[in-house]
Amino acid sequence: MSELKIIGTNVTRPDAYDKVTGGKQYPVNFSLPGMLHAKILRSPYPHAKILSIDTSAAEKLAGVRAVLTYKDVSQRPFTPVYFVPAQAKSMVQDFVIMSDRVRWTGQPVAAVAAVTVDIAEAALELIDVEYEELPAVFDAEQAMQDGAPQSWQNATNNIAKNPTFACGDLEAGFAAADHIFEGVYQTQRVHTCYMEPRVCVADSDTQGRIKIMSSMQHTFGLREKLAFALGIPESHVNVIKPAYIGGGFGGKLDIGFIEPIAALLSLKTGKPVRAEHTRGEDFISTTRNPIKVYLKTGVKNDGTYTARHIKSILDCGAHATHGSEVIMVHGLYGTFFPWKCANQTWEGFTVYTNNMIGGGYRGYGAPQGCFAVESQNDEICEALGLDPLEFRVKNTHKEGDPHPVLPGHKLNTYRLQECLEKGAERIGFKDRKPAGSATGSKKHGIGFACHPLWVSGCVGFPDIYEHSGAVVKLNRDGTADVVTACVDIGSGQITMLTQVVAEELGIAADAVKLVYADTDTAPFDAPTHASRATYSAGTAARAAAAEAKKRLFQAAAAVMEANAEDLVLENGKVMVKGDSRSAVPMTEIIERAESPFIQMTDQGPVPTTIAEKGSIIGAASMAPASNPSPCAAEFVEVEVDTETGEVKVLHVVYAHDIGRLFHPKSAEGQVEGGFQQGMGYALMENLLFDQETGACLSGDFLDYKIPTAMEMPRRIESIFIESIEPTGPFGAKSLSELCTIVPAAAIANAIYNAIGVRVRELPITPEKILQALGKL
Amino acid sequence: MKQIINIDINNEVHEVAVEKSDTLIRVLRERLGLLATKRGCDSGGCGCCTVLVDGQAVYSCMTFALSLEGKKITTVEGLRHDGKLDPIQQAFIDADAVQCGYCTCGIMLAARQLLNDNPHPDEEEIRKGISGNLCRCTGYQKIVDAIKLAAASR
Amino acid sequence: MTLNKLQEYYLPADSKEVAALLDKHKEGAMIVAGGTFIHGLIARGLVTDIEALIDVSRLGLNYVRKEQDQLRIGATTTFIQLEASAEIRDEPLYGAIRDALEYPPPQVKNSATIGGCVSASCPYFDLPVSFLALSGVVSAQGSGNSRNIPLSDFFPGVFENALVQGEFMNELTIPVPSAKSASAFLKLETNANDLAILNAAVWVSVDSAGKCEQSRVFVGGGVGEVPVRAVSAEQALQGKVFTQELCVTAGQAAKSDVDPLSDHRASGAYRKAMTGVLVERALKQTLSRLA
Repeated sequence: MSELKIIGTNVTRPDAYDKVTGGKQYPVNFSLPGMLHAKILRSPYPHAKILSIDTSAAEKLAGVRAVLTYKDVSQRPFTPVYFVPAQAKSMVQDFVIMSDRVRWTGQPVAAVAAVTVDIAEAALELIDVEYEELPAVFDAEQAMQDGAPQSWQNATNNIAKNPTFACGDLEAGFAAADHIFEGVYQTQRVHTCYMEPRVCVADSDTQGRIKIMSSMQHTFGLREKLAFALGIPESHVNVIKPAYIGGGFGGKLDIGFIEPIAALLSLKTGKPVRAEHTRGEDFISTTRNPIKVYLKTGVKNDGTYTARHIKSILDCGAHATHGSEVIMVHGLYGTFFPWKCANQTWEGFTVYTNNMIGGGYRGYGAPQGCFAVESQNDEICEALGLDPLEFRVKNTHKEGDPHPVLPGHKLNTYRLQECLEKGAERIGFKDRKPAGSATGSKKHGIGFACHPLWVSGCVGFPDIYEHSGAVVKLNRDGTADVVTACVDIGSGQITMLTQVVAEELGIAADAVKLVYADTDTAPFDAPTHASRATYSAGTAARAAAAEAKKRLFQAAAAVMEANAEDLVLENGKVMVKGDSRSAVPMTEIIERAESPFIQMTDQGPVPTTIAEKGSIIGAASMAPASNPSPCAAEFVEVEVDTETGEVKVLHVVYAHDIGRLFHPKSAEGQVEGGFQQGMGYALMENLLFDQETGACLSGDFLDYKIPTAMEMPRRIESIFIESIEPTGPFGAKSLSELCTIVPAAAIANAIYNAIGVRVRELPITPEKILQALGKL
Repeated sequence: MKQIINIDINNEVHEVAVEKSDTLIRVLRERLGLLATKRGCDSGGCGCCTVLVDGQAVYSCMTFALSLEGKKITTVEGLRHDGKLDPIQQAFIDADAVQCGYCTCGIMLAARQLLNDNPHPDEEEIRKGISGNLCRCTGYQKIVDAIKLAAASR
Repeated sequence: MTLNKLQEYYLPADSKEVAALLDKHKEGAMIVAGGTFIHGLIARGLVTDIEALIDVSRLGLNYVRKEQDQLRIGATTTFIQLEASAEIRDEPLYGAIRDALEYPPPQVKNSATIGGCVSASCPYFDLPVSFLALSGVVSAQGSGNSRNIPLSDFFPGVFENALVQGEFMNELTIPVPSAKSASAFLKLETNANDLAILNAAVWVSVDSAGKCEQSRVFVGGGVGEVPVRAVSAEQALQGKVFTQELCVTAGQAAKSDVDPLSDHRASGAYRKAMTGVLVERALKQTLSRLA
């Protein structure tokens, strides 16, 4: 039974009322008087030199106020990724806002600011660009061949990054194997499909300082990157934290083209400038990178791993952007370290092609890894007749083990076995039929996948920011205001921070309010990404609340003539611990603190002491203590129509070691939403491009299919295991990426169980199923 | 060349100058400053722009403003009465059906028509009723729960 | 994308006005009712030169009327109106219409009209395939009298219909056959708001001995410029007792009538194989409706 009052309950989300009554505070609804509108001209060619740009006709169009080309922007390259410094050594600096060299279809080549969107669009038509087309390459392995079109001078064979990891003796390991399994597993390019488009409004003052509102996942990252792109000091850029944004999922984790373009146009015109992506532009702005995994694993007869060789080829498109980090996470946390194998080699390749640039997306390389490894694990168990649940437990970590990636850290809490057992029991796994044995044309199957190692934030990752801060201020009415730069992208950061502060202060959840914040006034916070907000921002918010409480006790000690160390705060009252008669409402203490130094009363002047005076504020800025690993297993029941190849998901059971369950309904919501994305990834989503022109073929929701309420399974059950992580705020670890990492592998394995044939390439379309069945 | 039209939104008639090609969403957001109706794709694919026209859910990004003479349009701004939330709005809050919330206004109006036409829909009817609305955050589960809750609360 | 060149949005009160406006603007005008199709074209930049829109939704063409020997559907009848009409409910004959109306989401059904859907001549649409199976006839209204165009002559090519300059579609009629008959429609789509990867509509009439007298089998979706009539399937049915096995045979036969295209949604080979499956399943559904 939990001693916590707020954490663990389904408090009403503080932002829900605003959102159901219209949602005024989305960045897309932000405007400033006199605002101009920007539109971007994009290259129709995948690889070309710009020989000339003539913007004179566009500039003359009535209503046009400014035009930009590559000549107007800095050519100092940086990495646009928010969570690292602009010139982080572990990333690739190959990004500029506009260039005279085009490397993907859709790359911005010019921009216009005009009084209306329509005029800006019309002006684009008047810009004359002369291109010299160059040969292009769209396949990563082809791009690695000698003689392939070179995208970047300094990347031999178009390889932007080539990290490797090794342990033990691979040759000896394979020699010791009783069986060796080999396979190639391919995943596709998909889009996050956040519903609010990328949008920003940038304003400038007469001293060249920028203020900006943008739909993005990292206030301080935008500040840093925008300042760098414009060549101005960071302190000259103020990023307003939006009250909330309409989805991100990792797709708004890097500076877009619109922010610096809008800022430059604002500086040029002296007016605020707004830029909004069309959905078509959003589809070509960010993607989960496709990865091809060559996986070779040796096992003993009893299923113990003896050796593993992994080669991963990631197509990063025109710029390395996130691809240079995704490959690392895919390697370390997606394939190499989750499983225990003494003899392993991993080779990763981030490869330039003339495809669109990639971004972040929930899971960040691990879904691609999980699909490969868990598909093959399934193959191994099927071939050798091994119990698939025991096989997983045998080959992965145990609670108390040293953390496989972070030296000096332990897996303090780790309940993978419990996840597997509970999930298996709930779905009835022991009753599942042998693969392919179902009769009839509609075949049922059950499968599962687990992922044994993930993150709660970025402690231990080179070059990645990982600290958070908050300021908590108590008001005279007993409410608390929280200043934090942590962005709520929809997964409930506002609710979580509210719960943390309320719990720490012993006040009601609706007495806590997250207030206005920007990069001028709030302490640094890393982005809302990497499953870090609860573990990291929650830790800082708790510490800030604790500091405010300490200050409250200092003031109370003077008023109550007690020792501050003996005071506690319960139900809005300050009292000496164990002595309820001493209780004084906290509002009284705060009133005294905020009232005039000497108050005139009917009894005459009443002085207060210096010790009691001053706003009750607490601030904290800190890194969290560790990077504890959640873990999870997902069990899926499917029905495959073997005449059409269509797959229906009937039932999902997801079991997750969460540390501490903060908000049951909200956590379920993450699992349910994560499954929508994972199922779309598994069965239908595919960003497709013409292989000659590079033009996007699926740039709207008519052609890019994501699951609607009709395609979703009618039953999704979540089992949360509270292992109470000692390093996490109130015992928390993390949740929201793991539930998107496992679905595709689970579905693929369920399909195998249904029909007895395997598809190793996503998405598993009806067509691929019929091909696998030999019917096409 | 703009044209002046009278358009009835949430029982209030607005006189507004529109371009002949204006869609309803353009009029709502850019000419009338009614921001609850949101643009997600501008091509009838996501449902974020859903409003009710004479009680029927339509994509406002696909509706010409000039076709709306004499029709009554309902947006989310019109769901609240005398400061009280519509049961659907309350249910969305209570069922924890709002994550990023960007799809919420469109889905609530689709649900409003569903419950007006069919006060006690079963699960399949609910899912069918919101099949024209995409959500990327929730997996629709809590949204279905919210609509069931709203139906039960009448 | 917007119609930047749009000068006029007309709301004519009668057909004569429509004809006059069509004569005035010629290729520069488009008829609009629900607007879902035209907005789809606008979103893809396919109709940038339109200078006039003629909104026909005030002409009183939203009706569904059952007469002795035909069903008459006004051109601006919305999908939802048709779905709700008592005239098509329960009748096995109109199964293919009811089936096709199951698929679209509410927002589409509330706006899309029969006239818009048919005149679009989009091979990926659903209702026209059902109407083809049911021998639908378009009434084309010009400045003079209206003329009838059987649907099988109405679709010369993709996005092309048989209306001549100055005409618009004001009604669709579906003949009521004398013999006992039923119809069905099926569609393959990836999610609930989607064009057909493939669809099929069938109509079969039987004699008192349960033998197939007449049939019409149409396949749409990615089969080419226009829906295809699966004559081989019809021949396979002709004169035989209508059984489950016959449905399988006819379904297989239908495959030889199609040479579907490959695109980013599906390959021609998949569509060809699915022709067999959908025709078979639609025939089985038709069979059960005749019982």
